[in-house]
Amino acid sequence: MTVAAGVGYALIALGPAFSLFAGVVARKPFLVLTLLTSTLFWLISLIILSGIWRAFLPVRSGAWWPYALLIVTSVAFQEGTRLVFWRLYKKMEEMLDSFADRISKPRLCLTDKMLISLAGGLGHGVAHAVFFCLSLLTPAFGKATFYVEKCSRMPFFLISAIISLGFLVIHTFSMIIAFNGYHERKKSDQVFVPVVHLIASIMTLINLAPGGCMIGTLLLCVMAAATLQYCWRMVWRRLSENQHRQFNN
Amino acid sequence: MADDAAAVHGEASSTVLDVLGEDIIRIVSPVSTCMLLVVLLVSLLSSPSFPSPLSAPFAAAAGTGGGGDDITTALITAVIFVVAVTAATFLIVLLFYLRCTPCLRAYLGFSSLSVLLLLGGQVSLLLLSRLRFALDAVSFALLLPNVAAVLTLAALSPASVPIALHQAALVAIAVLTAFWFTLLPEWTTWALLVAMAVYDLAAVLLPGGPLRVLLELAIERNEEIPALVYEARPIDPHHGQNWRLWRDRNQPDRALDANSTVEVIGEVLERNLDANSSGNLVISATQSEEQANMDGTAGSLRPGETPVPNLSSDSANVLAPPETRVAVAEMRVPLIQTRPQRTRDEDGGDDGIGLSTTGAIKLGLGDFIFYSVLVGRAAMYDYMTVYSCYLAIIAGLGITLLLLAFYRKALPALPVSITLGVVFYVLTRTLLETFVMQCSTNL
Repeated sequence: MTVAAGVGYALIALGPAFSLFAGVVARKPFLVLTLLTSTLFWLISLIILSGIWRAFLPVRSGAWWPYALLIVTSVAFQEGTRLVFWRLYKKMEEMLDSFADRISKPRLCLTDKMLISLAGGLGHGVAHAVFFCLSLLTPAFGKATFYVEKCSRMPFFLISAIISLGFLVIHTFSMIIAFNGYHERKKSDQVFVPVVHLIASIMTLINLAPGGCMIGTLLLCVMAAATLQYCWRMVWRRLSENQHRQFNN
Repeated sequence: MADDAAAVHGEASSTVLDVLGEDIIRIVSPVSTCMLLVVLLVSLLSSPSFPSPLSAPFAAAAGTGGGGDDITTALITAVIFVVAVTAATFLIVLLFYLRCTPCLRAYLGFSSLSVLLLLGGQVSLLLLSRLRFALDAVSFALLLPNVAAVLTLAALSPASVPIALHQAALVAIAVLTAFWFTLLPEWTTWALLVAMAVYDLAAVLLPGGPLRVLLELAIERNEEIPALVYEARPIDPHHGQNWRLWRDRNQPDRALDANSTVEVIGEVLERNLDANSSGNLVISATQSEEQANMDGTAGSLRPGETPVPNLSSDSANVLAPPETRVAVAEMRVPLIQTRPQRTRDEDGGDDGIGLSTTGAIKLGLGDFIFYSVLVGRAAMYDYMTVYSCYLAIIAGLGITLLLLAFYRKALPALPVSITLGVVFYVLTRTLLETFVMQCSTNL
């Protein structure tokens, strides 16, 4: 529906990502590099996933269980990839710390580490939003729009944009939670992230039912808000603990 | 205590995070801008009804019924192109050897002007007709030569124009040339990209390769080669942190230039892999400041110009216009980073101490062009391939910079990126697209 609509859908999906990028990530070049690396990393994970599933696609039956299987395996694979990402991040942190000692600058502080995990999560979210929403938006710049049968009240592009927005928020902030969980070895954080990812993905199955997309999208936004809230609480706790520790020292 | 608290909140001191990575971003941004502009041009200007002006000669020459877009034609075209570029580069080496610098500079000016005037004029006309922009012929006839002349001058003599204009002129030349290349038929483009990547590898690394000979000649003579390279300089050339005193390289604790990520990476890699190393920076073989002006090297304040040999047009009837090939031949430069150790006035002694600017990374314009050609051709299929190929090319560039930091000699910038780009294009087109379509259309 013309360029305006296309741009609108793109901004719905990626607007918060742009703000985060311009406000936080673009200030420090290292974070931009982290974002690019993270996006590439998750793209590779998506390609490997699609390689594995290529033989079984396209799923022609209307049943929901092939999709459920697809989603469960994908989420499991991506959470495994997150662990690999964490290992790489630890290595890089050591390198950065030793370099900082070398040039006698302070080592990475807590805010730095959180910024890096934010950039990493943003890369994940941007990879999801770009490949699952933005690359399908090309027809939206044209003259008409498109409705899916099972969801006849909202254009397909709008639903896709809102879902990508939800997942962008979830991925960005769960990376912060996950890195914090691995660092502090808190089981609750470590378990929270895969569980949220799985629940959010399974909820998109609701969209398969006729008329279910309204409920499914709404629930996804609720999950995104829950992730945001959890992350906010965790960050607040860590920062105030850190500050108290500094004062006591 | 309070100082610690303030320091922790990062207001007083800048941590490592603020310092690293800036020079890589300064080379990634113009590459990304060039690719973005080419993708925009391709999306705006290519339509099924627009016949490629280059495919007709191909079809005529090949005589096949398929519009000249089969694999054999593509391979033959690619091989002819590579042979032509090799011949052109050897011609440049010869001219450089004969110290015919005015010839090289004249050719450089001629090629930039022709790209900007002819290709730029054609693209502007296409854009005007596509966007239905109301501009009369007289204004156009006034504007085009003026803009072309200004941009050519900006590209050739960066010392006399603001650096932003110089960089913009280089990017404009790259965008126009890359757009022209995307008009080739599909298989030809891919064959050309792969062939150029292989040629780049051979020309820079093999002992008899033309670019390597050129580099060695330049080192030997301590002269600068005129070349069109993009230098990722900071906008303010007298940026305070960029001037450093270099100590002798035998001293164990030399000041690391923290602004140069490539140097940092090289340092860290060396220390990780070589336990005996005391962390000294190994000075690369290509050290002179003039050398830094060359092909995609880092560090000098004076970027060079591209010499452009004028190919005879007799062999070029079937292929791209000679100016384009000629321009491309000259823009094929490897990616090097040097640490200019001394200024030109000082003699080369082992304990030479000199002032140098921080090593900015230089990338030849040919690399810009071929990256953008790959992404532009991916844009002709779908945007998903554009994103994958963009990420692949940036990753390839990053890997090349890592290798550069590690090996510290002239490296070709094309092979890794083009290989990754082609691999990701194929993977995306075959695997990822079905997967994503399946997942998304069922919401």
